[in-house]
Amino acid sequence: MNRTALDAVLPNRVIDPGIALGLVAAWVALGIAVWFLSPFATLPTPGQVGAALGDLWLHAGLAQELFTTLRLILHSLAWTVVIALLLSYATVLPAVRPLVGAVSKLRFLGLTGLVIPFTLMTGGGYDLKVALLAFGMTTYFVTAMAQVVADIPRDQFDHMRTLGAGELRILWEVVILGTADKALDILRQNLAIGWTMITMVEGISRAEGGLGAVILNENKHFKLPEVYAIMVLILLVGLVLDYGMGLLSRTVCPYAELDRVRR
Amino acid sequence: MAPDSVVLDVKDVRQKLGGKQILDGVTFQVHDRVRPGTTTGQVTGLLGPSGVGKTRLLRLIAGLDAPDQGEILGPEGTPMPVGSVGVVFQNYILLRHRTVLGNLLAAGTANGMPRREAEEQARALLSRFGLADRADYYPAQLSGGQRQRAAIAQQLVKQKLFLVLDEPFSGLDSAALENVIELFSRIAHNHEDQTLIIITHDIRAAMMVSDTLLLLGRDHDTSGKIASGARIQEQIDLVAEGLAWREHVELDPKFVALERSVKARFARL
Repeated sequence: MNRTALDAVLPNRVIDPGIALGLVAAWVALGIAVWFLSPFATLPTPGQVGAALGDLWLHAGLAQELFTTLRLILHSLAWTVVIALLLSYATVLPAVRPLVGAVSKLRFLGLTGLVIPFTLMTGGGYDLKVALLAFGMTTYFVTAMAQVVADIPRDQFDHMRTLGAGELRILWEVVILGTADKALDILRQNLAIGWTMITMVEGISRAEGGLGAVILNENKHFKLPEVYAIMVLILLVGLVLDYGMGLLSRTVCPYAELDRVRR
Repeated sequence: MAPDSVVLDVKDVRQKLGGKQILDGVTFQVHDRVRPGTTTGQVTGLLGPSGVGKTRLLRLIAGLDAPDQGEILGPEGTPMPVGSVGVVFQNYILLRHRTVLGNLLAAGTANGMPRREAEEQARALLSRFGLADRADYYPAQLSGGQRQRAAIAQQLVKQKLFLVLDEPFSGLDSAALENVIELFSRIAHNHEDQTLIIITHDIRAAMMVSDTLLLLGRDHDTSGKIASGARIQEQIDLVAEGLAWREHVELDPKFVALERSVKARFARL
């Protein structure tokens, strides 16, 4: 069947990549137009935001702040991956499942109330921020990943048993390697979750700087173009990180893309 | 192994599931088939309607589950632990994160086979099953037939005397069906001690490839009420009937008559 631009407004149709790209461009253009024509006086114009971004980057050390933030998020993410994957894979042991369930429930706690106990445990500063971010991301990561492990069909385990594999080999092949693509997808989502927490966490201890500290400082002085400039930077860097994670996932687990194509 | 010796002995196997009796006294034997001057394995077709407990029996034979009562023994009365019976599941399970070659290698190394030996064996099997040019493909890139052959090859990396196939004829067109039957014959008659158990509800296909047919079904009382729990209702020796190991056996009027009779019996199982 010939695909046309009309398919874009009909339900359950497949559209050409060129049309998909055109649609993205059209929506972005619409967003920018709305921004330009916005009646809200407090919303800086794109020109003001662009100028503020340039100024912050060239004269206020925004690149250094960005590096500080990226270091923090990647450090926290590394801890999250180690802790969350260990806990999730450990759910193959029935004895561990209640513990993992409890960790998962901790996502309802929120981070604000944890600042004091975590400060006492870590001594504050950079370590506190890493601990808070890692805690926040781990609770979500464990929730999603433990479910992925629980959803592995029994046939997969039986299949390996009929091949003569021992239970440790089954753990490696079915639980760890077999869910690697899903782990990367969840990691990608958790990176986004962590990225949204960055402003709050960096605001707790501003001495080390970072984008979160800068945005809160600019906010305090009501420098709205600068605030929006940093928000735009946060969004753009977030998108780049997300793209990078997607690329990593497609490179490490090419079979996952094949499954998606077949769907 | 002595001619006509028992290679599989299923003795009074019973199993309940969720309080419901699924298998109730399943008993049968598979005997070693011998043809002078020809390598001959065993092919048993286990027939039964949907939901009668065929897959449940498969799991017991494969050692994946233990029966509530009864026992299942291999050659010379030895127990058959899980891993000694190869199983090709209905949906041709493969490791989706490994290539076809990787799947076969994983099967070899899972059994403690050195990697080099496993690779040699895997490549030989891929050639034998017409999959040499698909070695680097992922399972998602295979057709249904290729997937089936890859799943069988995977189970054969470590030479297993028993291979159980769950509904291997499902969804095959007539050309593909002939190819699969020919493939099963080749596998079975590649080794004197090889035994294939084909679990299916396709009577004709089972008759074309098997030397023995087993009909699994539930009893009916005089009022026609169906008892819970299935057992072997009939065992048909196709060798004795002169209907085994023959090409185009399906054209023989005796085959046609027996097929009709089994179908009639099947409808009452």
